[in-house]
Amino acid sequence: MSAAGAAAGYLARRAAQKERVRLLYRRALKDTLTWAVNRHHFYQHASDLRDKFEANKHAEDLDTIDRLIQDGEAKYEKLQHPDPYIVPWAPGGSKFSRNLPPPAGIEIVYDFGKEDD
Amino acid sequence: MASALRGAILGHVRVPIRTLDRLGSLSCLQTSIRSMSSHGDDHLTREEVVDRVLDVVKSFPKVDPAKVNPDVHFQTDLGLDSLDNVEIVMALEEEFKLEIPDKEADQIVSCPLAVEYIAAHPMAS
Repeated sequence: MSAAGAAAGYLARRAAQKERVRLLYRRALKDTLTWAVNRHHFYQHASDLRDKFEANKHAEDLDTIDRLIQDGEAKYEKLQHPDPYIVPWAPGGSKFSRNLPPPAGIEIVYDFGKEDD
Repeated sequence: MASALRGAILGHVRVPIRTLDRLGSLSCLQTSIRSMSSHGDDHLTREEVVDRVLDVVKSFPKVDPAKVNPDVHFQTDLGLDSLDNVEIVMALEEEFKLEIPDKEADQIVSCPLAVEYIAAHPMAS
């Protein structure tokens, strides 16, 4: 039962690590897309990024994997683009909150031509 | 005296309000429908979403296009990696001009899930 508990703990840690790796890859890929000025630059850098991830694919020891993920996240932090491209309607994009509907209760009083009445 | 003058001018200039009869209300309705506006016509039909998703998946270099059908699971049916899954989701985001949050992007692991998500997204175009 302790072996089963240890196996479950191991699997849980591995699953959490896999999720961290996926998240890191996703963010790094988006960053690469923002940095790349032209599309062929993006393809080149994206394949380089993928090769870096593939090189460490077969690490087995949990602590090694943790350290590799931490190194990768530190590198990503340093290479973030200061002005990433975000889709305009999403939070952080250029069109976000551009034309908000006015809060309820504020209305225009239409009294054109009726001011004297 | 100025106010009397103003009243006279206003009474001269002001257009009298008239109640509309039925025909008049129809013509008024015509002018309120913006028939030449192209606003809001980028709602995607489901077949269009399916077609575009399948095109994106088929043009992925690691995928065999003959195996792709609308029920395919990226990792079990197409033999892709989890990182390939991330790449496919990014390609879908670029295709449909979406911004998918990280938590939900992690859960798009098959074609039907992707089609469901995109078809239900209000800003997909």
